[in-house]
Formats: sequence, structure tokens, C-alpha cells
Amino acid sequence: MRSFNSTMAVPGRENLRLYSSESQGSRPAPSEQRARSYQSRKKKKFKFVSVGLGIDMPFLILVLVLLAIGILMMFSASYPFAYAEESDSYYYLKRQILFAVIGIAAMIGLSFVNYHIFYRFAKVFLVASYVALVLVLCIPAANGVKRWINLGPLSFQASEISKFCVIVFMAYVATRYAEKMQYIKYSFLPGMAVLGSTALLLYFEPHYSCIVIMFFLVLIMLWLGGMPLKYFIVILSVVAVAFIIALSTGLLGYAMERMEGWGTALEYQNEQQWQDTWQTRNSLYAIGSGGVWGQGLGNSRQKYLYIPEPQNDFVFAVVCEELGLVGAIAILVLFALLVWRGIYLSQRCSDVFGKLLGCGLSAQIGLQVILNILVITDWLPNTGISLPFFSYGGTSLIMLLAQMGVVLSVSRRSRMEKV
Amino acid sequence: MAKGKKQTFKSRSQILLAIILILGFGAAVLRLGYLQIFKADELQSKAVNQQLTPAVLPAKRGTIYDVNGKTLAESASVWKVVIAPVYLENDEDRRIVADGLAEILDLDKEKVFEKTKQNSYYVEIKKQVEKDKREEVLEFMDKIENEDDISSNVIFMIEDYKRYYPSNALACSVIGFTGTDNQGLDGVEYQYDDVLKGTAGRLVTATDAAGTAMPFSYSQKVDAIDGSNLYLTIDETIQAIAEKYMQQAIDEHSVCNRGVCIIMDVNTGAIRAMASVGGYDLNDPYTLPDEVREEIRKLPEEERAAAESAAVQKIWRNKAVSDTYYPGSVFKMFTAAMALEENLVSEDSTFFCDGAYTVTGETMSCHYHAGHGTQNLRDCIKNSCNPAFMQIGELVGEERFWEYYQAFGFSEKTGIDLPGEANDIFFSEDGSMLPVNLATASFGQNFAVTPIQVATAVCAIANGGYLVQPHVVDRIEDAEGNVQQVISTEVKRQVISTDTAALVADILEENAVSGSGKNGYVAGYRVAGKTGTSEAKRDANGDGILDYIASFCGFAPAENAEVVCLVFFDTPTGAAYYGSQVAAPVYSQIMAEVLPYMQVATQYTEEELEALDKTTGTYIGLSVEDAERIAESEGFTTSVKGDGDVVLAQVPSAGTSIPKGGNVVLYTDESSAQEKVEVPDMTGFTIYDMNYFASAYDINVSVTGITSSSLSFSTSQSIPAGTMVSPGTVVKVQFTAGGVSD
Repeated sequence: MRSFNSTMAVPGRENLRLYSSESQGSRPAPSEQRARSYQSRKKKKFKFVSVGLGIDMPFLILVLVLLAIGILMMFSASYPFAYAEESDSYYYLKRQILFAVIGIAAMIGLSFVNYHIFYRFAKVFLVASYVALVLVLCIPAANGVKRWINLGPLSFQASEISKFCVIVFMAYVATRYAEKMQYIKYSFLPGMAVLGSTALLLYFEPHYSCIVIMFFLVLIMLWLGGMPLKYFIVILSVVAVAFIIALSTGLLGYAMERMEGWGTALEYQNEQQWQDTWQTRNSLYAIGSGGVWGQGLGNSRQKYLYIPEPQNDFVFAVVCEELGLVGAIAILVLFALLVWRGIYLSQRCSDVFGKLLGCGLSAQIGLQVILNILVITDWLPNTGISLPFFSYGGTSLIMLLAQMGVVLSVSRRSRMEKV
Repeated sequence: MAKGKKQTFKSRSQILLAIILILGFGAAVLRLGYLQIFKADELQSKAVNQQLTPAVLPAKRGTIYDVNGKTLAESASVWKVVIAPVYLENDEDRRIVADGLAEILDLDKEKVFEKTKQNSYYVEIKKQVEKDKREEVLEFMDKIENEDDISSNVIFMIEDYKRYYPSNALACSVIGFTGTDNQGLDGVEYQYDDVLKGTAGRLVTATDAAGTAMPFSYSQKVDAIDGSNLYLTIDETIQAIAEKYMQQAIDEHSVCNRGVCIIMDVNTGAIRAMASVGGYDLNDPYTLPDEVREEIRKLPEEERAAAESAAVQKIWRNKAVSDTYYPGSVFKMFTAAMALEENLVSEDSTFFCDGAYTVTGETMSCHYHAGHGTQNLRDCIKNSCNPAFMQIGELVGEERFWEYYQAFGFSEKTGIDLPGEANDIFFSEDGSMLPVNLATASFGQNFAVTPIQVATAVCAIANGGYLVQPHVVDRIEDAEGNVQQVISTEVKRQVISTDTAALVADILEENAVSGSGKNGYVAGYRVAGKTGTSEAKRDANGDGILDYIASFCGFAPAENAEVVCLVFFDTPTGAAYYGSQVAAPVYSQIMAEVLPYMQVATQYTEEELEALDKTTGTYIGLSVEDAERIAESEGFTTSVKGDGDVVLAQVPSAGTSIPKGGNVVLYTDESSAQEKVEVPDMTGFTIYDMNYFASAYDINVSVTGITSSSLSFSTSQSIPAGTMVSPGTVVKVQFTAGGVSD
């Protein structure tokens, strides 16, 4: 393996140089930045560890605040269920804190890592994504689906890895072929190839909600990369037609089952539907019970085994019940600020890859928050989309924080006022 | 170029940000706002309902006692077994739980297994699981938790109550039964459901989905209020006596459509016994008798369900209040009473019967075709002469007949506190009728009334003319024993004067001694009564012969009456079908036991005193000489078995009633006690033959029923012929007067 200190000689180096030419200096002062950058262009070395222009503190603080609130609310939501299921109210809290600690370590560590390493190994990451997705299919199913890979005491969700890898790869493609994005061959085709193959593997798990997320992620990356608008129109119309066909022929099996009763959670139709919509119905009860001001922290009633697994996808329903509309909006504002800050700092990044990577990862947070809330409020079928920082889960939390670390790493090359 | 690219990226990322924040977050906030502001109340009330529903504490249903405080119906704790299959992780665990529960609870393993596959927190497995089964389930829960590592949350049990009826079928049509949700479905269980069921505790505590209380107080706590207890006017002992003799007669006379017995306090209207015999076990109300089930099994498959439901309805039916029948000759007492009350006749008025009577061209014959000749009013009743009563009816006239018909309460429901009371069926709504209708109505034909209406109207004759409201509940007490309500006597009106009532009672007493009702006579008690045999104008058993209803209604004592008893057999299919043959002896048997139990004072005639049974003393342990001397001084004869000097055993045992001059067998050694004699067939003989049997067969014969007439014949015996018994054993023989009909 080539030393990280050697000059970067990976494909796409020219583009890197072209678009990252202004930010390779290590001094933070913006006024001197430009001149220094031009001077040092020829001597630029790839450094594995980089402090750069310093990290964006508002972004870091938002992450930590959301994480703290998320863990607290996850604990509040989960303790009756944890007690009933594991005979230990702190069962999920203890584990989530452990994951958070690992995740924060990963975040801080990655914030020092030069994110160009991901550019360099983008193909390797894509291969890793496929390996994980294939590997998970070879492992016996749990609860009828194959989503987890067990490594001794730890298990991780393959799709969490996959999401990151796809963002990295799409950022790589859009950076390397930045000038050729108007051609099908360099934008539409690679994007659809990645999406299609990944979606196919996810279909076998099955993990439909991840397909949906993956679809939006690829679309977002292509959009940021500069693919012409007409292709989006083509893609969206094809998807719309395909969706209608799938819906009418019942091809979607598991997802169709979950979608049955979608939007009808509150009306009894038959025993099957009533059972199927139990989780969604109780989520709606919880949200409605919260009203404007909420029942108060810790006072949710619906978490008492009415909402199954309240620590997972439906944690926000309990948040709504306890903190009310006011609390829910406050948290959404924090998420919105995080997404804004992530995109804002990425826009100011000195190279295209950094821009794309930071924007994509920030957008992913926003995407998951929106999909999660539309699911728990019965506007989307209940297909299993977790809420970042709130939902319980080791892989997703660690991956999430690690991704935040990558965004922070991007922020080191961002030409903006660091607080 | 670079500039353009950067611009593109910047604007594109701005657009993306705008889409996420405005479209995405905007939609989320709008949706949450809609749910939490506009739908908040609705959703919260649904949530509260759900959180509280499993927490409802069932109230204990009140106990039903008879008049003496004996328990007739009570509730005991049972449990509902529920599973939360969502905690079951694999088919192996599901199989363990399903098999275990199915075995303990006696269910189908596959069906339980199907239930364990549901993705739910609440699936009912079985209701009304009793204590011992609950213990087994608890043990099973421990076992699977320890051995198979299955969460103890999978199975849980919710307390509930189940109804038990200690006396099984006794008084079933009065008591009624409850459904699986403890709601009364029949009888007083239905009628007094609101009183019995109590108030379930509501909003007690909020519970989680598994039914466990949440760890905070929620709303205020309202305890369940247990249901009130009912004390019936029914006396279990009297009820049992009535049902015993009714059942005997039903078997003997092949009565195919059940029988009714009502025993009623004449002054208060309190029902002491109400039997619709041929009922069902209250603990198992849906199970038909074996022979009925067998018959249904023979039917084509598509008819079975309907036949089964009809059969169940039949055994559930409280015939005493729900059936209507032609009262027949029993009604003659009312026709006589109205004529006497209106001074249209006196007890000396005479009526002529030549065997038939013609009204507006229609000739109706008397059951005594030769004709009764000239008879006074007393004889008219004693002869149960239809032509005479048609003449009395003519004197009363349509209008007055209808007035009294209403006054005696036949045109309205009695208002008894039991469900399903039927209305009468008269010729017209307003009482108008043709002369021929009046003629048949005068002897109780062609209009239908309920048994309870007849019994209530007879009370009015027995108690001096007052129509009372019948009732089966005496009082209501709350769970702590505080009296909440006493059902007091409700006198509706005086129908006839006390003098008229006394006169009719006197005639009815004479009828029970020497008239058509003499089979209803009870030695030692001045009973009064009237037989009735009516055509039912239907053919229920399909034998091509119109059905008959044999009935008897009377009261005792004739003066200052205490109790009315109505006996009613629907469609006897044996050789005998007259009220005098079928119903009157049963009346006699029932009253002979009920009147002493009620401690009604005896009033023997001299002749009866002479033949009165004596009670044997204790002779065991005495020397043979002493025993013989004492027994003979008490009016018994003795025979000694064995060679010993001391009496080791005696038959009949001490305290048995046997006729004066009866034989006491004294055993003096072990071997002699093994000796047996065969009981002879003593039916079909006169009273004078009984002494022969007693001495020839070395047994004691105790006679009951009408014995004063030389026309009496023995009709049944308490120990069947051919049975081997110890010498001296008492065999009761029932006598019935032959050659009487109504």
C-alpha cells in the first residue's frame, strides 16, 4: 500500500486539484488562504491526519445536543418495554450509552482523518458494501428478515454500512466525472447501476425502507453532482409507473403486508388489519395524547407496552406524547439546524468531493428524520425507518456519529468563520 | 467552467436544502400539528379507553339464596388465560407454549398454535379457567421460564368470575343462567341482572398493554361494587319435593311435553316452588339430554342445527309463565264464584244434565254420557258437569263473564318478576264473544291462560277474594347484608267477597274428599281442589291424537288457606290422561310432604286417627321379652328372628312411621339379619288387601293417597316388586280412586 504521505496518484487527481486548489493550507486565516494555497499547490501532500481550518463547532454542538436528547428520550420511551422484555429498565440505555461513546470516539477520530481517503478507496467501499449485503443473505434470518451480520457479541446492520458506501461512491463518481455529468454514461448509468444492484440485494433481505432511502440518496447525489434535470424526470416517471405496477400486482410481498391497513390504523376493519396496524395506531394515540404541551417528561402512557419496541422506529411518538407539539417542533428545529449547518459548511468546502460528501451525509439525516416522522404519523407505510440519534441501535448510532465525524472532517476544509 | 460548476453546486444544494426543510420538515410539522392540535382530544380519549379497558375490575355477581338462605347460585373466581405471542421468538417456543396450554386447558393443540403465531400482545386462549387449572398454568409458566427461557410475559391471567349452581337442575326455570360475560340470560338471573351484576370498577388504574398497572396514579380510583344478593321466596325443600313427584309422574304417564308445578303462598303471592320439570342443568345449560341428542343425531344433517336449537329452547322454557293452555274444568270454580258473587245462583240451585247441552244449535256432550240428572251447585262441581256449567255461564252472561275474567287477572300479565310471561288468548280483545264461546268458556275451554294466572286466581278464592301479585324474589340485600329492598305483598284488588270465596273453598274441599278431585286428598289436611282435563287442540307428539293437558289446582287448608298448588302435565301419552288420574295423585303426594314441612296444623277425621301411623321406638339392646312387651304396648306386633336373648337389630329402624298394628321384626343373632324377603307386586289391589300382603310377606305396608273409598286401588309402590328386602321393611303404596273423572 502506498504511503499516505506520498503525493496522491489516484484517478481523478486532476479534478481534485482543480476543485480543491484553494483549501489545502493549514492556516485558518481566510485572508491569507488564497495566496498561500496557490503557492503551495505544487507541494501539496496527502496527509492522513489533518486539522485543516478547524472543525465547525456549531455542527458538533448540534450533534452532541441531539445525541443527548435522543438518548434521554430513548431511555424514557424504552424503560417499561426493557423491564418487560429484559427485566432491566436500563437495558437499552446502558447499551446505547456504550454505543454513543464508541460513536463519539469514532466521530472525533474521523474528524481528523482527511476525507480524501474515501475518494481514494471509493471503489473499495462500494465493494465492501456489496460484500456486506451479500454476506448478510448467507446468514440465517432473524424475525424473518436478514439484516444483521453477527461478529461475536456485536452485530451490525449491513444496510447502515451500505448507505455510507453508496454516498461515498456517488460522491466519487460525481467528482471524477464532474465535467461529464451531462452524459448518461457518467451520471445516470453509474447511479442507476449502483442503485439497481444495491436495491436488488436489499430486496432479498428484505429491507424495503432502505431501498427507499437508497433511492433518494442516489438521486440526491446525482442532483448535487450536476446530472441534468431531464434524467430526474425520466427516473421519477419510471419509478412512479413501477410503483403502480408493483402495487397492483402485489409483488412487494412483505412490504405489501405492512402497507395493508396503511392510513386506516384508527378504523377497525377486520381482526387482521387491526392487528397489523396496532403499532401505528398506538403511535397515533401517543402523538395525539401529547397535545400541544405534552404529558411531561417520563409520563407517556403509550410506552407501557402499547407501542411495541418504542425504543426503535417509534421513539418519536413517545417524544410527542411526553413533550407535546412544542417539544417535537423544538427537536425538529434542531434537526433542521443540523441539516442546514451540514449543507452550509459543505457548500463552503474547498473541493468538490468534500462538498458532495458533506452535503450527501447531511441530507441523509434530514431524509431519515422526514421519513421516520411520516411513518409514525401514518402518512407512509410502516416499513422500519429509524430516527437518527434517537432510535436504539448500535450500528446505526456508531455509523451515524462516524458520518458526522466525516462531515466535521469536511468542515476542516470549509472556508467559513469557525466559532 | 469551474465557476459554472460551483454555481451549479451551490444553487443545487440550496434547492436541496429548501426541499428538505420546507417540503419535508414542513410536512412533518403540519402532520404533527394536525394530530396534536385538531385530533388530540379524539386520539387521547381512544388512548385512555384502551389504557383503561383491561383495567376494568369485574364486580362479583350477587348470590341467589332460597328463602332460608340456602345458596342457589353463586360466583367464584375464575381466570381468563391470555397470551402475548409477540414475545415468542420462534416456532419451537410457540410449540412449547401451545402444547403446554392446550394440555392443561383441554384445548386443540393446533388451534392454540395458530393463536401463538399472531403478532399481538393480547390473544385470549380460554375464559373461565378454574383455580386448579390456574395453578397448573402458573407452574407451567415457571417451568418454561426456567427450562426453555421463554419470557414470563408470554402468558398472563386476568381474574373474572364464574357462576355456579350447587343444586344443578333444581328450579332451573326460575333461577336461569348466565352467559360467558356473566350476563343473566334467563330467569331471575335475567330479570334481576341489573341488581345482581353490580358495578364494574372503572378508571381504576391505567394499565399497560399486558394488563399490569402503570406506575403512576391516573384519574381517580373507583372500586367495583359487588352485585346485590337475592333472597328468593322459593324454598329449596319444597321445590325439591315438587320436582321429585312431578318427575315420577312424568315418567309414569309418559308425559311428552314436560310438566309444571306452582306452589304459592295464597296471602302474599310468594312463590314457594315453581317447577318446569324436564329442564336442564344450570351449570351446563347448552347440553341436551342424551336421548334428545340421540334423536337429533338421527336427523338429516341440515336439519340438526335447527332441531338442536328448538330442543334447547324447549328445555329452557319456563312453562309456568310462558305457556298458555286451556284451563279446563279447573276454571269451573271461577264460573261458580262469579255466579255466586252476582247472586245468580246459590249452593242449593239445581241444574239438570241429560248428558249433553245445546247452545245456538251446537250440542256439547258431558263426559258422563248418561247424564248427571238433577244436581245442586255442589254436585255440579263434584261431578265436574259441563252441561250444568254451560247453564251457569248463560246466567252470568257474556259481559259479566268478561268482567270477572278481567277481575281474576286473566286478561293481563300477573307481573311476576320472571321473564317471558305470556299473555292470555281470549276470543276477542274487548271480551265480546258468541253464546257458544261463553258456553265453552264456562267450563274452561277454547281460551288460553298461563299456569301462573290460574294459580294466582285460585289464590283469590283461597284467601278470601284478593288478587295478589305473584313474585319469586323476597328481598334484595347488598354485599354487606344490608337490606336494600323487600318485595312486599301487592294486593291488586278484591275480586269476590270473602263469603263467596269461603263458600267456593268449602265446595272445593268437599270435591277433594268425595268429588272428582278426591285423588288429590291428603289425609290429615283439609285440602280443596279441582281437576282439569283440557284439549290442547294440537298434536305435538304426532301420534294422531289431539293432546291433552291434565291439571289439578287446589289449596290447603280449605279454611284459612296457606298454600295453593297447581300441577299441570302437558300431553300425557299413557293410558291415563285425565286430571283426576294423572295430576290429582301428584298434588296429593306433594301436599302430603309440603304441608307437614310447612308445619300446617293437621286436622284428622276420627276414621283417619284410627288408622294413623305410629312411630317405632328403639328396641335394640333390650332383652327379647322386654322388647316384645314394649313394642306391643305401643301398638305394634312383633316377630323374633334368631335364637339369641338380646335384640341386636330391628326393622323398621327406630323412628319409622308404620301403620298401627304393623309388624316390628326383632333380630337376635347375626345370621338372622341376612334373611331377605321378596317384595310382592301390590298394585291394582284395594286397601283391604294390604293387610294380607303385610302378614304374608313379612313386610310393613304404609298407604298414602285416597284410602277412604272402596273404589280406591293401589297404583304405585315405593319399592318395586321383586326387590329383596329385610323382613319388616316399610313399603309405601299409593292409592288412587278409580272411576272418577272430571
